Amino acid sequence: MRGCWIAAYYPWQASSIELPTDVGTMLQHTHLQPVSPQRVVVVGARGFVGANLVQRLESLDVPVLGLTSADLDLATEGADERLARMLEPHDTVVMLAALTPDKGRGLLTFMTNMAMSQTVCQALERQPVQHVVYISSDAVYPMSKSHVTEQTCAEPDDLYGTMHRAREMMFESVTATNLAVLRLTMIYGVGDTHNSYGANRFRRMALDGGPITLFGGGEEKRDHLFIDDAVDLMTLVIRHGSTGVLNLATGAAVTFDALAHQVAALFTPQTNVLHQERNNPITYRHFDVTTLRKAFPDFRFTPMKEALRKVHEQDVKGT
Amino acid sequence: MSKPTIAFCGMTHLGLNSAIAVADMGFPVVCFDPNAQLIATLNDSVMPVQEPGLDEMLAKNADRIRFTADLGDLVGCDVAYIAPDVPTDERGQSDLSPIRAIIDLVAANLNDAAILVVLCQVPPGFTRGLAFPADRLYYQVETLVFGCAIERARHPERYIIGCAEPDKPLPAAFVAVLAAAECPILPMRYESAELAKISINMCLVASVSVANTMAELCENIGADWSEIVPALKLDRRIGQYSYLKPGLGIAGGNLERDLTSVCNMAAEHGSDAGVVHAWISNSKHRKDWALRTLHEQLFQDNPNAELGVLGLTYKEDTHSIKNSPSLALLANIGQCSLKAYDPAIDFDPAWHPNGQNTTTPLAACQGVDAVAIMTPWGVFKDLAPAVIKNAMRGDLVLDPYAVLDGTTCAAAGLRRITLGKPAQ
Repeated sequence: MRGCWIAAYYPWQASSIELPTDVGTMLQHTHLQPVSPQRVVVVGARGFVGANLVQRLESLDVPVLGLTSADLDLATEGADERLARMLEPHDTVVMLAALTPDKGRGLLTFMTNMAMSQTVCQALERQPVQHVVYISSDAVYPMSKSHVTEQTCAEPDDLYGTMHRAREMMFESVTATNLAVLRLTMIYGVGDTHNSYGANRFRRMALDGGPITLFGGGEEKRDHLFIDDAVDLMTLVIRHGSTGVLNLATGAAVTFDALAHQVAALFTPQTNVLHQERNNPITYRHFDVTTLRKAFPDFRFTPMKEALRKVHEQDVKGT
Repeated sequence: MSKPTIAFCGMTHLGLNSAIAVADMGFPVVCFDPNAQLIATLNDSVMPVQEPGLDEMLAKNADRIRFTADLGDLVGCDVAYIAPDVPTDERGQSDLSPIRAIIDLVAANLNDAAILVVLCQVPPGFTRGLAFPADRLYYQVETLVFGCAIERARHPERYIIGCAEPDKPLPAAFVAVLAAAECPILPMRYESAELAKISINMCLVASVSVANTMAELCENIGADWSEIVPALKLDRRIGQYSYLKPGLGIAGGNLERDLTSVCNMAAEHGSDAGVVHAWISNSKHRKDWALRTLHEQLFQDNPNAELGVLGLTYKEDTHSIKNSPSLALLANIGQCSLKAYDPAIDFDPAWHPNGQNTTTPLAACQGVDAVAIMTPWGVFKDLAPAVIKNAMRGDLVLDPYAVLDGTTCAAAGLRRITLGKPAQ
């Protein structure tokens, strides 16, 4: 088992983690010593992250209620009442349900996402719970910011980022003191159905016989988070009852070119990496993860090489 | 004509050093503090603060210095300086209530011709708001620096004097004490002088922020900041005394207070302080350099690594642990095992549950995977890199202040990481 159930107790730390400036975004642990929640309700349990989180929690014998759109369509009338009836005061609710950009980037997707969030927020107003974790996105930060911390101003570039920022504020409005907002960077792992530019798409290109094609020289740097690490961190936040804002990223940005070559090297024969014309300017994004280091000092990220190999082996086994 | 008698009120770091320097210029000095216990200690020549040359200068001028807790001793003074250090909280906000209290106390006990000079740092508008006759009320900018306070008080670069009406001549008694230092005297309105002090500190912060920003870039692109600094200092627009040494963020309290003051004033008056917020952000980023570096260079590959920590105090030659980067590191390092040594203080188990005190610096290096030299004590310079390497299990040395010689470390097989240079 991976080391997510860290029995950490940090008596030498203050209960609140000192952050650079804004007290409002300070990450605080309700439980310095991690505790097992009575039940975790995962809203959006069928998605890539949701399914992995449910699996991880169940492997740790945490009672989980995983809700999918088949169980409850959040966009329908009366869904808030039905959800509220499912909730218990001692629950931890993890909100993951969202239409991702591959389902559309327009107004309809935006409004549907807002309606889903409205449903969950209204349900939480009817039935308050112990702890709420909203899984947001690093899309709340503009791409003009190359060095990102939790203090970086969240002023999104597009409707997708605006949706997440608006949802964060909706949840803040109904869960004033027990909300954790986790801003997730690009994730990769087995079973990701999304095809965004990064490790998962590169793997698909390689599995299809290649080549892996990159825009320009693939010079852009991004942070890529292994799904196992992502759910481990979410689990730590749940167990500590943490509240505030935390970016879920590794702090180690790599170029798409370097990533593509690491993926390509896992295949025999090695997949070619080709560069094609670039349409957009080169941008960089680095995360300063000091807040995460301070919040969970004993957490260790899976090295990218090891994580990619793990994904490859699981993928090969699965096929 | 006999020399005027000068009073210094508030016997903290600023008051003591200033008073003894003025005594050394030949003036009779009354050192007042309402704390009778403190005065008794001072009368025993026990100084509550340490500064190079302070004890010697006190001894040399003892016949001109009178320590007193008696307000009646102020009546005969011609000039009275209000000189306690201004306390600040952890957010850099000044607490001016003790300053107002001592001003009220002193002002009520001066003679009708005495000059009152506010020497401690106060925000713009403070001096003009005091209920004291404006023609006898002045503000004087203090520019003491910890570690060379006596030198700077005895040989100031200039005096910056805040006045109600800067065009009017300064009173003779005040001029007498100012002229003794033989440096330029710059009278200006109260608000200008109060802001001049803050402006000086903003320039210092700007320089340090440039150093920290460029040093971090050096660490990533293969440049060496220590090679660049001499080139900058020879540029007349930058200057040989400019603050260009990279560090672990801004510390000490005074600069943070002025950063906070500027942000507050800009917010109140609607002026742009974006660059000041950027300096604060950069300082906080650099404070965690050691934590980030240990995660990147050590714990990522060796989660159970053991650490040796050399230095616990916030800087060398002090017992103080206030704002200590070393203790900040210990608080956030996680549950690794560590050994710690400091020449002045013992490791306290409350700082880390898996820590162990050692009685020599070398013992703190024994069997560890990495050594972090968190305070640049002189004694650590005497450690031979080869001996350190021999004692260690690993080869990583975090040496932010470049206490050890890089070439010798490399020859000894140590992987030394310092501010402003790429990792070896």
